[in-house]
Amino acid sequence: MTKKILKSGVSRRTFVAGTAASAAALAASNFGFPHIAKAAENVKIGLIHPATGFLAYPGGQLRYGAQLAIGDINKAGGIKSLAGAQIEALLGDSQTKPQIGAAEVEKMHEAGVHAISGCYQSAVGLAASAAAAKYNIPFSIDVGVSDKLVQRGLKNVFRMADGYGRIASAAATNLGAINKAAGSPAKTVAIVHEESEFGTGTAKLMNKYLSEQGFEVLETIKHANPTRNFDNIALRIKAMKADIVMPINYPGEYVLLARTLRQQKVDFAASYSVLGGGFNFKFVKDLPQIAENMIDVNHWYDPKSSAGRALRKRVEADGKFFTFEVYLAYLSIAFLADGFERAGSTDPAAVNEALKNSTLDPMFMPYGPTKMYDGQNIGSRAVAIQAQKGDVQIISPAEYASAKAVFPRSKA
Amino acid sequence: MSLLKSRTGILVMIGIIVSLFVPVFVANKFYIDILSLILFSAFLGQSWNILGGYAGQFSFGGVIFFGTGAYASSILLTTFGIDPWIGIFAAIAAGALAGLFIGFISFRYGLRGSYFALITLAFSEVFRVIANSVEFTGGGVGIFIEHAPGIKNLQFTDPAGYYYMALVMVIISLAIAFWLERSRFGAYLIAIRENEDAAEALGVNAFRCKIYAIMITGAMGGAAGTFYAQKYLYIDPPIAYSIGMSVEMLLVTIVGGMGTVFGPLIGSFVLHTVNEVARHFIDTPGLSLIVYGVILVAIIGFLPNGLIGLFKSQKKQTGGKSDA
Repeated sequence: MTKKILKSGVSRRTFVAGTAASAAALAASNFGFPHIAKAAENVKIGLIHPATGFLAYPGGQLRYGAQLAIGDINKAGGIKSLAGAQIEALLGDSQTKPQIGAAEVEKMHEAGVHAISGCYQSAVGLAASAAAAKYNIPFSIDVGVSDKLVQRGLKNVFRMADGYGRIASAAATNLGAINKAAGSPAKTVAIVHEESEFGTGTAKLMNKYLSEQGFEVLETIKHANPTRNFDNIALRIKAMKADIVMPINYPGEYVLLARTLRQQKVDFAASYSVLGGGFNFKFVKDLPQIAENMIDVNHWYDPKSSAGRALRKRVEADGKFFTFEVYLAYLSIAFLADGFERAGSTDPAAVNEALKNSTLDPMFMPYGPTKMYDGQNIGSRAVAIQAQKGDVQIISPAEYASAKAVFPRSKA
Repeated sequence: MSLLKSRTGILVMIGIIVSLFVPVFVANKFYIDILSLILFSAFLGQSWNILGGYAGQFSFGGVIFFGTGAYASSILLTTFGIDPWIGIFAAIAAGALAGLFIGFISFRYGLRGSYFALITLAFSEVFRVIANSVEFTGGGVGIFIEHAPGIKNLQFTDPAGYYYMALVMVIISLAIAFWLERSRFGAYLIAIRENEDAAEALGVNAFRCKIYAIMITGAMGGAAGTFYAQKYLYIDPPIAYSIGMSVEMLLVTIVGGMGTVFGPLIGSFVLHTVNEVARHFIDTPGLSLIVYGVILVAIIGFLPNGLIGLFKSQKKQTGGKSDA
């Protein structure tokens, strides 16, 4: 074949080789297939999380938390109503792609899965739970904040933790209470959110709820995923002199925005995030100066509960950070195991019925009694947490508070 | 020689007949689902191949048509209650119109080669930002399609339903590629690919031919969008206009063989299989991607004409003729 030269001077072969080489890592994830690492017996629970890709860290934390729960349940005698059946995990990697998450369900179904827990990203959870609905496989959302996950009329989908609808409402109420207690120093808010359903949907609700609490939202700024430079956004916030900066985004962007706000010396009363993906013990430990006094409204364990403290100790002894992914995945598995226990069967219809009527003790979570309504646990609630002197404290609601809010923040 | 009487034609017929019976003999639904993904990927690759492989206009924005088609049928369904059976034709039209729009702007101003590739990449970002910003696409929240299994809604409880749908799409895409290889229009496209100035000097209306090519690409991409939306029931801007999907389209074609009828299908099949095998034997998350990447670079390095080049070189050595 004669050598073909593009008009721009790039040879066909160079284009081909360059494109393929540079795109290999990116594209590889698109061709991925679900992977089951371990064959399972007894009660089989599928774990679908992003084990590779830009969400590999939270995905790994979720997988770890779920496996921890499975280990504990098995050690305690398994599912007693099923003659001590052991739980075995079928591991799946969604690779952050909805189609791969759904294909995982097909693979797990062929492997005889009895229930599934996942998926971190709402888009993956939507596709995977719909795929599971075809076989009526019980599906517990461990982390996934889209309210659509449990509002599509699927009888097999359940969620113990809150979705963004109720969390946004709680966030606005908590902020109103904290501000009032401090003499109402904050009046204006700048919302910075990521562009997918999680960020956009939450930001939309926050606009409404913040107005009801008497705050003025100066601007709602959307950013792409990933965003690797927040200088412009930080300067915009600096110019508008917002009292509250409200990030609603994923881990990487959350931390980068926090750093940039400090680098650009943006002055504000508080950073008050809603489901801030990066707010966790790792962030507080790695970047203590930046994290100090930042507030987040999120899933959080109850530090007053002995079960919560014990679990944290175990996780940290394993060299892991006690992030919300770990204990929500743990709770999700406990919820499913309780369903099997009460159903006394692995029949999907019986297990779904048992899950629907769950009254599971929320153990280490600051929740009220478990009560499922259309698949959503309405006993769950998010709390306001704040980084204080290298640790994380619950500052609202009052019944779970482990410390008083520092508001406005101290300016180091 | 008539296609049906040629060796390739006979092999294609056998392939189609075997494919029709795959769900009957393969009990494992997971494999059927994976085959659906392979066929879907091959169809997208073929859509890219029309413009990139035959006409030589390398695009980094193939996903534009996919996303536009997905939105078109999903909006018609969720807002106006129009069945996806009609929606898929609207998606095809929307994809073709998007192709006309981008092609007119790009080719009118003589963008070729890397410049065309870059402008299509830019357009995919523009489309993503627009989809994120306007209300009728659901903005960043996206569009949820109701889970309502049934042939009327193009939703199947058995993965075989999607398999057959993807198979039909691939057969149509192969027919388009066959037609291109044997038509005057296809010859014009190849002439443009080889030397656009020379083609124009010989009387080929390059602008018009490229517009037609990008519209065919767009129409096919639009149909793929409806398939995706009805299978996964959710679409949002990062999914609809993902650069990853653009890369996937061109990669299956490049690996399989650009400007060939079977290149995208072979590329899709091999790449998915290589990745699965790598993942099967390597448990460490991410390590399989490295192995996959090395194999991919090796394929590109040693087979610049794609995997289909292997067959061609064998035929040259044995003096046989190729229909591919």
